[in-house]
Amino acid sequence: MAILATDAELVARAQAGSTAAFGRLVDNHQSAVRAFLRRLLADRDEADDLAQETFLAAWERIGRLHAGASVRAWLCGIAWRKAQTFARGRARSARRDRQWLDSRDQAFTPAEEDRAAVTKAMAALPMDQRAAVALCLAADWSHAEAAEALGLPLGTLKSHVTRGRAKLLEVLGAGDDA
Amino acid sequence: MTPDDRLKAAFGADTPPPRDYAFTAAVMARVARRELQLALLKNVPIALAASAVLWSAAPALEPLVSDLAVDLQVPVALGLTVLLGVFATLRIFGPRRA
Repeated sequence: MAILATDAELVARAQAGSTAAFGRLVDNHQSAVRAFLRRLLADRDEADDLAQETFLAAWERIGRLHAGASVRAWLCGIAWRKAQTFARGRARSARRDRQWLDSRDQAFTPAEEDRAAVTKAMAALPMDQRAAVALCLAADWSHAEAAEALGLPLGTLKSHVTRGRAKLLEVLGAGDDA
Repeated sequence: MTPDDRLKAAFGADTPPPRDYAFTAAVMARVARRELQLALLKNVPIALAASAVLWSAAPALEPLVSDLAVDLQVPVALGLTVLLGVFATLRIFGPRRA
């Protein structure tokens, strides 16, 4: 196998039954999928478990991926749907997480304080807004690609990003003027 | 540092490394398990069909099997005795491991 295969080549090989090619796809996209889920769910272990399930589902459905489609958007779309199902099942423990975050001692460095404040603010955002912020602000995705991954209209996604950003900047003490 | 930079830095802590072979290996182990499950599931209809055929043919096969069992009694007993003898001889007189 060539060392620098493109996503399209790897997808074609994976669709033909190559698990090695699928392994390369996992390797190439694990960081994006895990980062997205970590920002959505806050708990890293749960996020990584869900990322594994996402890739397992992707392996089962790889035949349905159209040639030329964005693999990253497709994978994050699967992750997004899994996260929604997961979040519905754990609404109660999410409330517990928020109470724990509220009761926690403040971090010491400014960077840690920012991180704790952003994590807490992210947990308080509606799920759609959180996903839009995680993709467009944290991971620098284009609005179009994020809308495709989340299955949202472009306008709705843009407004989620704007509202989410305003709330996050507010907790950083920067307000809406930034 | 602009507020957006601070936001970006706060998000940065959640980013996993670009390469994580342990994570990839864990995913591929789950893929291998799923592949095996699917292969086994694929064989279930064949096993069921074979069982159904044998079950439906059982009345016709039973006399054959009974006759065969009677006919094969002596050769099977002799064969097993010879095999046992060879095995015992090799154990007693055969080359010993260091």
